[in-house]
Formats: sequence, C-alpha cells, structure tokens
Amino acid sequence: MTTFETIAKLVAESKDLDVNSIKPEMTFADLGLDSLDVAELVMNMEDELGVTIEISPALKTVQDVVALVDAQKK
Amino acid sequence: MIASVLTEALGLRYPIFQGGMAWVSEANLAAAVSNAGGLGIISAMNADEEYLRAQIRKCRTLTDKPFGVNVMLMSPHVLEVARVCAEEKPAVVTTGAGLPGPYMKDWIAAGIKVIPVVPSTAMAKLVERMGAFAVIAEGGESGGHVGDLSTLTLVPQVADAVKIPVIAAGGIADGRGVAAALMLGAVGVQCGTVFLCAEECTVHENYKARVIAAKDIDTVVTGKRLGHAVRSLKTPFTRQYLEKEYDPATSGEELEALGVGALRKAAVNGDMECGCFLAGQAAAMVHAVRPAETIIREMFAQAEPLLKGAPQWVK
Repeated sequence: MTTFETIAKLVAESKDLDVNSIKPEMTFADLGLDSLDVAELVMNMEDELGVTIEISPALKTVQDVVALVDAQKK
Repeated sequence: MIASVLTEALGLRYPIFQGGMAWVSEANLAAAVSNAGGLGIISAMNADEEYLRAQIRKCRTLTDKPFGVNVMLMSPHVLEVARVCAEEKPAVVTTGAGLPGPYMKDWIAAGIKVIPVVPSTAMAKLVERMGAFAVIAEGGESGGHVGDLSTLTLVPQVADAVKIPVIAAGGIADGRGVAAALMLGAVGVQCGTVFLCAEECTVHENYKARVIAAKDIDTVVTGKRLGHAVRSLKTPFTRQYLEKEYDPATSGEELEALGVGALRKAAVNGDMECGCFLAGQAAAMVHAVRPAETIIREMFAQAEPLLKGAPQWVK
C-alpha cells in the first residue's frame, strides 16, 4: 500500500467516505474535516505509519500530508 | 485550603480560572478574579491588537497578580493578537477554537504558560507535544463554543491521555463541581457563566438578570449545521435561529449572517429580542450577582468539606 492509499483509507474511515472519492489535491476543508477531525486523523496516521506529523498552516491537502510522511520514511 | 500543581506553578490561592468570554471577560473582571486568588483571563475575542494591548495594560493597573489572555484562533486578528501576547507576556495564554500550533513557540519563548482549551483527547495529545503547560478539558455543558463530549466523560479521558495537568471546564459553578473535577483527574477548574454574574463584570445588567433567571432546561445549542455549535440561553433569537437552521431553504451564508453581532447586542446593549446570551448549563446554578471574591471563596469553602468527607464512602 502506498502512503497515499494508507492516508486515503484513514480519511475515508474517519468520515465514512468512499475511498475512491479521495484525491491528493483535496484540502481538509474539501473533505469536511474541522480542526478536531484533523487532530484525530493525525493521531491515527501516526499510529498506522509510525511517523510524527506536525500540524502547521502549510499542511492543507492530502498530498501535503503524503509528502511529509514520505520525507520522514526516507 | 485546596492546593494543586496549578496553584503552585502560577502562584494562585485557588486553582480556578475565569474563562475567556467574548464581550464579557475584560480587564475589570479579570483583575477582580486575579485579586481574589484565581486566574482572571482577558478575552481577545475578534478584537484587534490595540484593544488587547489596552486591556492588558489596564489589567496591570488593577492587579499585581498573574492573569491570562484567551486567544480565539478563528479571530481575523489572530496573528496580531498572538504577537501582542508574546510582547506583553501575560502569565498564561489560553486558546480556543482550533490548534494553536503556529503561535505556541513564540509564547513559550516569551515565558508564557500556554494552556489550550481542548474538546478531545487527540487535541490534548497534540498540544502536549507542542509544549502546552496544561490543557483545559471543556465539556459541552459550557456556554459559547461547545464540543460533543460532556465534562464527566472528557476530563478523565484527557487526564489518561496526557501527562501535563488537566483543568476541568463545563458545568462547574459550585463547590460540588470543584470537588468532582478533582476526582475526575483535574488539578483545577475553569468557570465562565458563574463569573458572568460577578459584580465586577461589566456586561449589561439584562444579561446578568437573564442568567440568574435561567432554569435547568433554559439553554440550547445552535449552529451545529455550520460546524460550530454554540450554547446560549433560550431567547426569541435562538428560537428564530433554530427554525432557520432546520429549514433546508436557509443557506449556510444566511445562517452565518444571522449570528453576526448577536452576542454584542446581548453583552453591550442587553437586547432581549435580538441578542444571543451565551451561557452554560450552569446558568441555573447562579442565583445572585456577587463579588468575584465571594464567588470563589464560597465555591472552595463548599468543596473542602466535601473532599474531606470522601472517606465516608469507603467501608
């Protein structure tokens, strides 16, 4: 499973969305995630992927998160 | 005397914060609470940097005790008020409505203790990692912006999730609430509604009268559809708002526009028709306008024998 697929799965599970509807360019707002949802999601991603994700204003889209996770995995 | 890590770390006589309430928590109230031995908090609400700086400086003329500033992270002026906090260095900054990540480094570097309000365990863990000194776990009984969890369930879960101190908020207005909060794993409490009716609070007298008249079922949550739920007293305004909220023909923008300025109308003008009187479920437990010092002293005078009496339950 690629990082994107893992993250898309977690996002889909958290909001009961169809995993295929999640695209890399979508923002948290597009996905209907508020700050509470994002905090929850970040914690789940950290558990699943074994990385640390610092939430910052630069982190807006699914792709931003994928890039951050991939950079840490290298 | 009830002491905890909170009284020790902040130099307070009582482990109690007065919540940051927009249009309510200004320098007079904050100073009165701090002078009484709690931690008074000025609300930066949606105001600009000049307002906040003036309030902080005014508070310093009214008290030599520590006080805090509450930064509402959705404020259009959040960047400037965050900077004013780092410059003016109040003892504590509490935050609401989001994650304070981008501003925390500057505040901590300025020697400020950052204590975010959190409505979930994930949020508590994240701010702990960012260097928060403590968290305020606020249950949905509170007034203003509310989360879904109640104080009874949120506080112990947050206390389990983080190692930093936890302050309980939401529904606390007397010594029983204080004692219960400590049993749930908190080291102190934050109260809003009870201080709204403090003598020193400059809010319109109609607002205080409404809170005092409120009964147990007199608050209601609106705005869930917009994703920011708010608890206030039931009024003609909330009735009209709820009708529109559940009417699919009303657009989100229309609903949003309906709420603009409603709190100011309540707090500044005492407008019983169009004002939105934010208050927690504890409104029904507030029976009189009293000085902040009396409110705090009586709460803790009630809590102390309750805590001392706890062994009666253990046979």
